[in-house]
Amino acid sequence: MLLNREHKTGPVIKAGRSFLAGFLSVLLAGSAVAQNSRNVDVTAVSLEDLWNMQVTSVSKRSQKVADAAAAIFVLTQEDIRRSGATSIPEALRLVPGLEVARIDQNKWAIGSRGFNGRFDNKLLVLIDGRSVYTPLFSGVYWNVQDVMLEDVDRIEVIRGPGATLWGANAVDGVINVITKKAKATQSAIVTAGAGTEERAAGGVRFGSKLGDNTYYRAYTKYFDWGPSAYPSGITAHDGWDALRGGFRADWTPAGANSLTVQGDIYRSRFDETLTVASLSAPYSNTFPNDGKYSGGNILGRWNHTSEGSSMSLQMYYDNTTITDHSLFGDHQNILDLDFQHGFHVGDSQQFVWGLGYRSIRDKNDASFTVSLQPNQVTLNQFSTFLQDEISLVDNRLQITLGSKFERNEFTGFEIEPNARLLWNLTPNQSIWTAVSRAVRTPALTEEGLRLNSQVIPPGTPANPTPLPAVVAVFGSRQFNSQFNSEDLLAYELGYRVQATKNLSLDIATFYNNYSNLRTAEPGAPFPEGSPAPTDFVIPFVAGNKMSGGTYGVELFADWKVVPKWRLMGSYSYLQMDIHKNLDSQDPTPDNPNGSSPRHQWYLRSSVDLPKHFEQDTTLRFVDHLPSLGLPSYYSLDAHLGWRPVTSLELSIGGQNLLNNWHLEFMPDFVNTSPTVVKRSIFGSITVKF
Amino acid sequence: MLRRLRILIVALSVSLSGSPQAFAQTPDSRDSSEYLIKAGFIYNFAKFVEWPSAAFAQPDSPIVIGILGTDPFGALIDQIVENKKIGARSFVVKRLKWGTDFKELRDCKILFVGSSEKAHIDELLQIVKTLPILTVGETPGFAERGGVIRFVLEDNRVRFEVNVEAAHQADLTISSRLLTLARIIQQATAADTRKPG
Repeated sequence: MLLNREHKTGPVIKAGRSFLAGFLSVLLAGSAVAQNSRNVDVTAVSLEDLWNMQVTSVSKRSQKVADAAAAIFVLTQEDIRRSGATSIPEALRLVPGLEVARIDQNKWAIGSRGFNGRFDNKLLVLIDGRSVYTPLFSGVYWNVQDVMLEDVDRIEVIRGPGATLWGANAVDGVINVITKKAKATQSAIVTAGAGTEERAAGGVRFGSKLGDNTYYRAYTKYFDWGPSAYPSGITAHDGWDALRGGFRADWTPAGANSLTVQGDIYRSRFDETLTVASLSAPYSNTFPNDGKYSGGNILGRWNHTSEGSSMSLQMYYDNTTITDHSLFGDHQNILDLDFQHGFHVGDSQQFVWGLGYRSIRDKNDASFTVSLQPNQVTLNQFSTFLQDEISLVDNRLQITLGSKFERNEFTGFEIEPNARLLWNLTPNQSIWTAVSRAVRTPALTEEGLRLNSQVIPPGTPANPTPLPAVVAVFGSRQFNSQFNSEDLLAYELGYRVQATKNLSLDIATFYNNYSNLRTAEPGAPFPEGSPAPTDFVIPFVAGNKMSGGTYGVELFADWKVVPKWRLMGSYSYLQMDIHKNLDSQDPTPDNPNGSSPRHQWYLRSSVDLPKHFEQDTTLRFVDHLPSLGLPSYYSLDAHLGWRPVTSLELSIGGQNLLNNWHLEFMPDFVNTSPTVVKRSIFGSITVKF
Repeated sequence: MLRRLRILIVALSVSLSGSPQAFAQTPDSRDSSEYLIKAGFIYNFAKFVEWPSAAFAQPDSPIVIGILGTDPFGALIDQIVENKKIGARSFVVKRLKWGTDFKELRDCKILFVGSSEKAHIDELLQIVKTLPILTVGETPGFAERGGVIRFVLEDNRVRFEVNVEAAHQADLTISSRLLTLARIIQQATAADTRKPG
């Protein structure tokens, strides 16, 4: 919800001095930098240093992590390229503390600070300011989210709540994928690769200009993943392919206004092995299934900058159709409008406010297993936010106060305030703390879902009746109960130090207090079918009877040993004490506690070798997941790149080199067979013109 | 030694205020915005360009920076040159409009020509051609048409072109330190003046 959607994290990350500057346009943010003696004083820098300075976007500059009163991590284009990752989820494995697990070749569970799952509902994900969080289950279809990775400028990840600026659902984290401006992608790129798992991949991007001030690019990419294997070793049915294309055009005359228009279209086909319940013997069927998704989006953003203030208006339309054959079909049309205005108040305050409107039209196709009522719905959401950032004590202390006010059709008004404080102890170390409230508003499924998860055969000890018993999960609507928002009150404390020129350390700690978390409360069984009953339904209805605390620490250290060798290390610890309330009758165990790893760490080495070779190695450890019955695992990933000339890059990467395979996660709700992550090799060639 | 120390200080001040990882990843490229860097260059141009002594009324006459047309700097450039001195000369920044501020325009020592002025660049450059004014522009073909310096963005960095002949006509002496970083541009002949870029 920031002025420049593409720079959206600016304010969040730079919660300190320039919580606002991030989206206050080049001018304002520029002046904020210039005013700031701790920042670059361009008059004190030599001509040659000036010559080497990189021009970056506003938020890049405002994303001074040392100035952020939030746990932020930035994956740069360089990080992504050198990691050998070929998708957004795989690249996210390098973010300290983030939980990234693959369920099968085309499904991921990605979470932050606990509650991980395929349908994790506490993480907000944006691509160039466009939210890809689906109102269907309040999560992200990770297999739908892709971009031309070469065009990514950076991925900014904020662990912890960002609801004041980003709104409901930015509960435990915000991920921002930010692509480069069209001006920065003026060359043509052709890339092609092949590997053992990702069998083939290719992409073409072309950039050019129209007139003096308009730059554009267009891309298309395709990939094809072969099937993985079940833990038994048998080849699985989980391959997939996807084709997508898109463009971005930036019109940036030297004046006060600028305009960006961008869009994508895509389609994909994916395989999975599905187990569904049925009313007749054998009451459960496992079969190879397939699905497809397609969609498109178009976004326009206008920025207006005048001295001392900045405005932006953004609008986008997003259409997604996902069809999981034999299971569910969902067609979504989202229209989103966002206005923001930021300005300075005196010398020490920056104020920003905004208005947002979001219209969601959802239409779905049911199956015996999954149905949603009503099968067609339009939701309207309104929001406003305001935030003030105050600099005190010679800019060494920054206080940020703000709140979001949102109205949704399920729970009415929601208020999400936060207070953040950053204290620059010395020029090279800072301490920050924050208290925030965030809510996770109900998803369509929590209102109107019916998921037949299991059928208990008749005449068995569990079901002595002559009719099959359907164990079904329901949204609250059909039981005239109310499913409320899940609440979080988060306390965070962090410390950063640039110990030497070559060594920096970032520590973030948190204590999260959750209430009204979702449970599945049993209801009274009832018969269904007409004229004669065909089965009994044992309902479990969405309730809000779980609460508790989580706490943890996330460390990241970055050491430039010598100019050509960089070592990075990350460790994260997570303790979850989530329990059902005494009045809850949910029979399932306190699952969230064991579905996120308690310990995670990685060590990463990044070396520039002679003759334009570069080598990266990452050793990762992910702790066991007791509630899923999964052991811990180590993964060794290595990547070798060679750029003999700037226009050519050859790359070869291996993932999971230590083991033949490991299993990372288990499905939830929808019973697809999990498959293993195998040792894999992928090589590619990229040519620039 | 001094230079190394200075770089270290710059690097430190940047890194300390900057993202630790971002800094570590790109130690040679400091984050900054385009116009902050351009303003920094303009300040440096004042240091590395010599005006004829007759150009200034007094030894301590200020260096007037004129910004013609749309101003992409905002308050930035004022803050940068505020309280700065080159020798005895301080800075004054003036915003100018084409068509009304001709007198002020002639008094500038550095004239930044905003891209809004595209339509009358030739006319403008004709007017100031023999005046001791360092013209700085951004529009394609600015230097070829007789502007002294043109900023160019390349590879996310600010580069500049210098038309040495135009500098010579304006009686400006450009330091070799500046010239080694510049791309030297030949004045376009009358025949291809119209061709942009």
